[in-house]
Amino acid sequence: MQNTVVQYILDNILLFLPLGITGIIVTLILFFTGKKQEEPLPENLSTDYTTMLKRKVNLYFVLYLFIWITIIIIGALSQFVPTILGAILASIPLIVMLLLKYKTTRAKVS
Amino acid sequence: MIFLEINQQFGEGTNLLALFIGIIAIAWIVLVVHSYKTYGWKKTIMYFLPIIIATLFIESAGVASERYYYPGYIIYLSVVNGGVPLIILLAWSVNLFLFMNMGRHVIARLYHKRNLMQILLISATAGLFGVCLDLLEDPIAHYNNWWIWKESLTGIRFYEVPILNFIGWFVLIFFMSVATLLIERSRFTENRKVLLAITSISITGTIVFVIHGALVRLFEYTGFS
Repeated sequence: MQNTVVQYILDNILLFLPLGITGIIVTLILFFTGKKQEEPLPENLSTDYTTMLKRKVNLYFVLYLFIWITIIIIGALSQFVPTILGAILASIPLIVMLLLKYKTTRAKVS
Repeated sequence: MIFLEINQQFGEGTNLLALFIGIIAIAWIVLVVHSYKTYGWKKTIMYFLPIIIATLFIESAGVASERYYYPGYIIYLSVVNGGVPLIILLAWSVNLFLFMNMGRHVIARLYHKRNLMQILLISATAGLFGVCLDLLEDPIAHYNNWWIWKESLTGIRFYEVPILNFIGWFVLIFFMSVATLLIERSRFTENRKVLLAITSISITGTIVFVIHGALVRLFEYTGFS
């Protein structure tokens, strides 16, 4: 077996096993002794929108776009040609989010 | 057991590392501030700290197993004899929070019921989105020596990056998202949710270890690795 994280953990199981077992026991105690509250309110996704250039935009979309663009710039600066393929593959989340927003907006209008 | 190392030769042997660190730092600050303002500090700890602890162990084991290493960073943390840059751990917390919330926004438009299926769909979307970004980031990182995969590694590679790395990304983001969402939607008090998020790393870590280990074995058996 080639060196993998899994193999390393197996080789050092005496270190990881006590940590894991302690964590599992504490989690079970916390789980079964905890007081329950009322059902938590459903998340309000509108708080994830921010105004940029007089437009309401999804913060996570903008941040992903920022990371995507800057990494492409780094790829271009380092003259790494496969960046093009990576950029296309990494644009999938952006396209999915845009398409879903477009679809939902169109459904609301009609 | 935990060690802190300071590297005096920042960026040595790497290319454009400062830019990469800058991107991660900006993304981390934006997300932590947004989380704090929207959900408060307890939930912010619940979202960011467990993944930092989990990846400290995983990445440290990865470096210690001599599978890859991180040259040229400033602050390194080590728990099992493998130095991991602090910024990499912060990057993992960015990954989890960003992709989990992107998944939440996508699935909220397609599946409205608040049940276990929705949690699984959000987590699977988060994992897939994570892999999409990593397909861009990891080859550039390897090319610029931000982290270096050992040449001796066998198996299928995507521009020098082992395919098992991308599977690892999916498995980790998927299960950490499931755990985070289950705890977030539970009816425990805020304090207990924070404690559960930290201690449950042992359970999530064990599941990730077993699933990833099984996939490694499967890849070896089929000759892909």
